[in-house]
Parts: sequence; structure tokens; C-alpha cells
Amino acid sequence: MATLPGLSDSLQPLDVTSDPDVPQRLAIPLGSEWRVEVPQDSKLQVKILSGIAEIFGTELAIDIEYTFQNTNFSIYAVEATELEWKCLDLANQSISSNTNLKHIYNLHFSLEKLRVSSFEGPRVLIVGESSSGKTTLAKYLCSYAIKFKPYEPVMVNLNPQEGIFSPPGCLSATPISDILDVSSNTWGQSMTSGATQLHSKQPIVKNFGLENISDNRELYMRIIQQLSEVLSNRFQSDPMVRRSGCVIDTPPFSHFSDDFSELHEIIKLFRITAIVVCAHDDNLAVKINDVLMSQTIPIVRVPTSNGVVQVSDVFKRSLQRSAIKDYFYGDLNTVLSPYTIGVDFDMITVWQPRSALNTDSGSEALYLPVETNASNLQHALVAITYAPRRAPVEEVIDAPILGFALIMEVNDTRKKLRILLPVPGRLPDKALILTAYRYLE
Amino acid sequence: MDTEKIVGDFTSILDELKFNSRPIITTLTKMAEENISCAQQFVDAVEKRIETCVPKQKLFAFYVLDSICKNAGSPYTIYFRRNLAKLYKRTYLIVDNQTRTDLIKMFKLWMEPSNNSMDEYLFDKESLESIEQFLVKASALHQRSAQAPTVPGLLREIDRLALLTRERIRQNPQDERLNAKIAVLHQLKQELQREEMPPKALQQVQMQLRQIFAQEQQILLQQQKQQPQATPPPHMHDDITRNQEGDQPNIFGGSALSSSFFPNASNILPPSEFTQSQVAGKASKIRSLYDSLEKESLLFKPPKQSVVALEQRLENSTQGSQQVELPPLPLLQDILGDVKSHFATISVDIVNTPNLVLCQQTVMQDNPAVIQLTNLLYRSKPNKCSTCGKRFGNSAEEKKKERDHLDWHFRINKRLKGNVGAGGATSKNIQSRNWYLHDAQWIQFKDEEIVSTTRREDDTITLANVEGPSTGVTPGSSTFDQSFEKKSDSKVVEQELNKKYVVVPESTEDMSFQCPVCMEESSAVYNDDTGEWIWPNCVESQGKYFHATCFNEAVKGSLQETSINQGLQKLKGLIGK
Repeated sequence: MATLPGLSDSLQPLDVTSDPDVPQRLAIPLGSEWRVEVPQDSKLQVKILSGIAEIFGTELAIDIEYTFQNTNFSIYAVEATELEWKCLDLANQSISSNTNLKHIYNLHFSLEKLRVSSFEGPRVLIVGESSSGKTTLAKYLCSYAIKFKPYEPVMVNLNPQEGIFSPPGCLSATPISDILDVSSNTWGQSMTSGATQLHSKQPIVKNFGLENISDNRELYMRIIQQLSEVLSNRFQSDPMVRRSGCVIDTPPFSHFSDDFSELHEIIKLFRITAIVVCAHDDNLAVKINDVLMSQTIPIVRVPTSNGVVQVSDVFKRSLQRSAIKDYFYGDLNTVLSPYTIGVDFDMITVWQPRSALNTDSGSEALYLPVETNASNLQHALVAITYAPRRAPVEEVIDAPILGFALIMEVNDTRKKLRILLPVPGRLPDKALILTAYRYLE
Repeated sequence: MDTEKIVGDFTSILDELKFNSRPIITTLTKMAEENISCAQQFVDAVEKRIETCVPKQKLFAFYVLDSICKNAGSPYTIYFRRNLAKLYKRTYLIVDNQTRTDLIKMFKLWMEPSNNSMDEYLFDKESLESIEQFLVKASALHQRSAQAPTVPGLLREIDRLALLTRERIRQNPQDERLNAKIAVLHQLKQELQREEMPPKALQQVQMQLRQIFAQEQQILLQQQKQQPQATPPPHMHDDITRNQEGDQPNIFGGSALSSSFFPNASNILPPSEFTQSQVAGKASKIRSLYDSLEKESLLFKPPKQSVVALEQRLENSTQGSQQVELPPLPLLQDILGDVKSHFATISVDIVNTPNLVLCQQTVMQDNPAVIQLTNLLYRSKPNKCSTCGKRFGNSAEEKKKERDHLDWHFRINKRLKGNVGAGGATSKNIQSRNWYLHDAQWIQFKDEEIVSTTRREDDTITLANVEGPSTGVTPGSSTFDQSFEKKSDSKVVEQELNKKYVVVPESTEDMSFQCPVCMEESSAVYNDDTGEWIWPNCVESQGKYFHATCFNEAVKGSLQETSINQGLQKLKGLIGK
């Protein structure tokens, strides 16, 4: 493909020779990035031979084999890089010199200046439409923030469809105190009792349990409120985290209501000091600017990289699946051992967030009781709350989350369940919340 | 059966005959004498041995043949005679001279009539004559002079001499003597063809011819030296002398040496020598051209101080140093990059860097200051962890961090690989996830707990479990403090605590420990599963060993205290607001 004059991007299709055992060599010129799409059931192994290469802000070690599965990513060559890769069927790959790294560097250093010059770090809200590079930008900003000084920026995920240090359906806040795991689709391991090859992270996880925030906006905002309270307490008690600030990733902007009420609320709750719009053009930034006229929050736009891949629902589902699997069984590097237990029907109490699917009862409550039977619970992911089993519903709503369990099997005739627990021991005698996610091994 | 066995023995003994061994030969001879019935097989075996063994050992096999024939006589002599001449000749051709001499000596004995068998020769006359003739010819090759000169041979010699002379005429057309020489040679040739001469006369002619030939060669060489254009390269002379010195049986029979002198006669040469000499010829032409040019002082020779000479000398001297290997290119680039980056960031102060106000222009612009600052993310910390890629700086503090970090990797890797038990079997740690922290715990949590690389992590898995749910449990902003869900389930807790154990450390002298809480002594038991001595119901904390149950009680107590403290502090904070 010839490069047209005036076309700054030089997309070159690379010849794909498909011998999985013979590593392919690849040179990425300085300032370019290698974009790859690894199919679901395929593995890509990459080894950097020389140069400085990073994945979304996290530098790769030399001569270490990294394995990637079910992901789209790019390796950016900070300095000319030579690498070796192995893959059965790499769906798509290209080298491009047209990156938005310049803007990300600019943004990072202006945030860094804010960190250096104040005790209160910047609290950055990233907004944008679907596939506009929000999460990638968040990753860059967190990774760069920890490089020069030992900052601990808090990565806040408000997009329940994505699992960041958590299974899907959650909102989470995680101080990033060490480098991210580039080969993990959920950014890395959260605290486990055992050893992990990289320092794990300690997230606070709130269960939303539904797929779309439009399914129950009231609950969504309630959860966000809980999260923001916990985070603001953490900011108060942890000077390093306070100074580092936070980076907040959000659901696609179209998922919010048209009246920008969620945006207003989030800005207020998290005391946002900067808004970054990820978009190809200025439209969204201008719109938000108009809405927020009265406030003095700087709004900047980071142009979306043309390397962003439009992800399909199928791909999102597979990411969610793998996030659930990782929660119970660990990932390629850290194998976890979950425990299966048997439980009687009358030993559990299950609630369920009210959503468009189950509003027939006409109830206004946020949570509805769930009858224990196979059709309701089979293969379901349930959240275990800190609230006692027989606690009133309001208490359950505001209770923190202990973790998740997977209902493996429901036997209606024997009134028994088999439940997969991530932590050994009995099923905590706690109220459970049914999520909209199912996982079948 | 017997025959087979005897022949087998005979053959195997024969195979042992790798040196001149009298006992072996005697044994074989005896066997042959005693087993006349196997004569045919024995003969076959010996013949086969002579044919197949390495040349040096052939003689010994012949000695066997000789010995058998002399001692056992018929029928061996009859059997052997069939192939004797053939075998003897073949052997003679491939062995070295010393062996040949020995073979000849042996043959000479065969030619003497054997005393004990009535004027009879050992072998039949035909075979012996055949060998004799062969040996006469062969030794004639050895002693060249012994070969009588023949007329055709002499004629060829004359032809060559004539060629040499004509060559000289070509160079010195005026020389009358040379023309006369040609005429004489021509005459001689005719004489030889016409008359039959006695061998002695022929020999005389040959001698003279050779003398003349040598002279001619000499003259020609001298001439060529004087006329460089025509000089064959020096190594060509070497070729010739080598050929002359070589073991060429008859000088004039082989055409190579003399004809290589004349390019005209080169068609007689074998192809390989031909090309060789052609190449050499070309080289010589260039050489002579160079010499002649030099003679005419048409060549410019660079003076010793010139650039060209200098360059040449430099080239020579650097050839040695090129063998010193440079470090690989990436390493050199790394060093260069680190140095550049160091100077790029040495005076950088992000606070005073202009154009970093968070606004759209800042994000979009090409900011040289940011390009400088980018070094801070990479090479300003030049030491990169080889395991995870994390970077560390050069300050003492950063160096210490790096050391701790590497230690941490090492410990973690050891743990991930599993502990090697006493039996050599690796027991991989079974890992499970922890529950998420309670809001209140998370608020108080410091990531230092995770990222600290200096915490004691070995053997404290047991402790971590007890500590895990107890990292500062306080009623948070939410009113639901259910955090100690495990407390409510004391049976489970107790069971779990009882499962905890510590492997008896090597440092202990007696196999027991005293729990500082209850002051009871507990002794070690042997754990069959792990194959190690352990203290059951035991945890280690800060180098001391506690009963897990006692420790848990104590920790719970202190936690309640701290939680009260924290509650108080919180209250103070609220009042302060």
C-alpha cells in the first residue's frame, strides 16, 4: 500500500507467515507503534530484544516473554525496538507512526506539574464515546504517574461493563502503587493470599450487578456515591494517594442520560479537577463545556488514536468471561484455587437489583428478593455482601462487598446448591446479590 | 561341524595377525599341518586375508602362506599356486618400499630349490617366472638408469631439445650456432631412425643429449632473467624443479616438466596443470609488465611519508585491533541514551517548566520542554529491572530500592516455584483469593503493605491469614460493621487455626517452643504429608513462636483496642470540622 502524500499515517500491512514455532522478528521504528489484535482462542507471545518499548505506558522488560490472550493492544517504541513474536493466527497487525502519544505526554506532564505543586493531586475524569480510547488513556496516565516519583494514583472504574481489578458488573477504585500487568486484561491481580509475580493491587469493589447503567440509574448513582465516599475517606487518611490524585474511567458517554445529570453528580462526588474528553473532534468537548459553563474545571480533548479498535459485543462478552474466570481461577501467571461447597436452599438469601427485566412487581425498592431455584440462579455470579443474611434490604444495599461466588449447580428437587468460593472455608452467612452475569465452564 | 569350527578358529587367529608374530604364524602352520582336510578353506582364508587386510599387514599373511607351504607342503602349495602370482603382484604394488624389499627377499627364497624336496621349487615355474618378470620390470622403474634407452625414446628427446633450441632462435635469430645445432639434431634423429645401434651407444647418446638439454635450459633461464618480459614467474621454476625432484620414474617419459616450459606445447599437459600454468603465465605477464614499467621509471612509488603509505600502515596495524570485540550495539546505544537523558534532565524542574498549564493548547502543542521531560519516564532512571522492566535511578536511595526490589523478585519466584521439601519433592503453594477489604479497612489500608519489598514474606503465609481480615477493622462511614464475619463463626476459625503450623526452624536446639502467651511448651511432631518436623497450632510473629489460637486471641484483643482508638480519632476529626 503506497503512502499518499499528505497522509501522515503510513499503515503498512505486514506479511504474515504463519509458522507458530518460528518466532517472527519485527523492528518498530522510534515513535511508531505495533498494533495487534489477538483472537479469543489464540495466544501471542512477545519478547523484546532491544530498545525501549511500552504497552499503554508500562515499559516491557528485555528478553522476557509476555503472553497475550484475547486482547487488542499496541506496543509503542519509545526508542527503536526489535522484538520477536509467536502466534498461530494473528488476526490483524500493523505498524503505524501516527500515534497520539505526543498529546498523552503533554497531558501527563501538565498533570504531573499539578501533583508537584499541590498536596491535592489532580482528579481527572475521562469521558468519551464507546471506543474512543478512554480506558487506554487512563492506563497511560496511571502508568506514567508512577514512573518518576512513587505516586499512587487511584484508578477509578465507573464502567460496569469492564472489569478492572474485578469481575464485570462492578465499580472499583484501586490505588496504582506499582507497575501494571501488561498481559492481564483486568490490569493485574488484586490482593490474593499468595505470591504474584508483580505487586498486586488492593481495590475497593462495589457491585452494581447489571450490565447497563440504564437498567437502574438510581442504583448506579447510589453505588457511585458509596464509592466516592470511601475514596474521599481514603484521600483523607492517605497523603500519598491524595497527592497522586485519581483517574476516573467512565462508561460510553451515550450511556449517561441526556440531561448530563450523572456527569454533574460525578463531578461533584469525586470533586473532579480536570475533564479529559477522548474524541476525534471537538463536538463533545464543546457540549460539555457549554453544560459546565458555571464551573472552572479545565476541559481538554485528547485526540483519539486511529489505532483504536471498535470492539464488538462478542469481544466485550469474552473479556467479561475471562474477568470472571480470572477472579476464581487466576490468570496465566497466578493460578488460584477456588473451593466448591454444598449449601442448602434455606441457608442463603439472595437479592437482585431491580431492572427493566423485573419491574413487573411495581416495587420501587432498589433490590428485590430472589427465589432460590435453578432458573434464577444456575451458573450465576453472585456478590457476597458484608451484610448479615437476614439484614433488611436497605442495609444490604449499602453494605460493602466481600467478594463473589459462582453458583455451579442448583438442584431443585434436593434443594441443594453447589457454590464455587474464591476463599476457602464455609459460605459466609451473608446476604447475596444476584448479578446479571452468568458463567458456564 | 568340526571343519567349520576349525576354519573359524583359523580365521580368527589369522585376523589377529596384525604384526609379525612368530607364535601366531607357527600356530597357523600347525593347524594347517594337522587339518589337511580343511586345506582348501585355509587357503581361501589366507588369500582373503592377503586381499583384504591393510597393506602393512599383508606381508605377515604372506609369511603364513610361506610358512604353511614350506612346512606342510602339498596340497597347500598346489592350492596357493593358482592365485600366487596375482596376489603377489597386487600386494607388491600397494605396499611401501620396505615391505617390497621383504617381499622380494621372500621371493628369492622361493626361487632357491628347496633342499628337502628333491630339486623342486616350492611353487610351479610359471607362477615364479611371472613374479620374477614382474619384479624385474618393477625394479627397473626403481632404478631408472637401468632401463636401456630405446630409439623412439631418444627420438622424443631429440625433438624436445630441438624445440628448446628453436625457442632460443626465436629470441636470438642472429645466433648461427643455434641453427647449426638444430641441423645436428636433425641429423642425429635421422641416424637413429636409420641405423640400429648397440644399447651402449644408445646410452651414450642419451647421456649427451641430456647434458645438452640441461645446458640449453640453463641458457634459456639466464636469457629470460635478462629479459624480464619473458620471465616465467619464479614459482614456475619451482614447479619445474619440484617436478624434477619428484619421484617421476622417467624424466622424459612424463611430458609435464619440459613441456610446461613452452606455452606452445601446453596441449600435452593434463588439464589441471594446464590451467594452473596458464594462470601462472598471466600472473607472470602482469609481473613482468610491472617490472618493465618500473625499469622505465614510469611507475609512481608513494614515498614513505605519503598518505597512501600511512593508510596502508594503518590498515596493517588496525587489523589486530579489529579482533577486539566491541560490546553489542544495543548496549552502546543504551549507554549513549542514558548519558543523553541524564544531561537532558539534570536541570529540569517540572514546576518551573513553562507551557504546562492544563488546557487544550498544552495538550495539542509540540512542546520541546515535554520532549525533554519525557526522559524522566525512561532513561533518567537508567537501571531497568530485568524481570519486570521497572526502572531505578542512580541515587543511593534508588539503589537500595532496586536491591530490595530484586530480592523481592527472587523471593517471590522461589515461592511461585514452590518449596523443595525434604524428600526433594516440590510442594507448590496453593493460592486462593482473599475477600475484598471492608470499606473501613480499605480506607486505612496503605499500599506500602503491598509494595514494600522489605517485609518478611517467607513463612508468614500462616500469619498473613490471621492478619488479613484484621487490618484495622473499624466501623466506617457505613453503619454496617460486619467485617469480622469469621469471628461469628468461631468453630471454623478454631479449626483453621489448628491447621496452622510452622516448620521447625533449623536454628532451634530443642525441638520445642514456648508460647509467650500461655507459657506452655509444645514439642514438634513429624508431618507425614510434607515430610518435615512441624509445630502444630503455631504461628510465627517477629521471630517469636505462638500458639495460633493464643495469638489469634491476643490479636483480636489488641484490634479491639485499636478500633476504639480509631473510632476516637474519627470522632475528634468530626469535631474538628
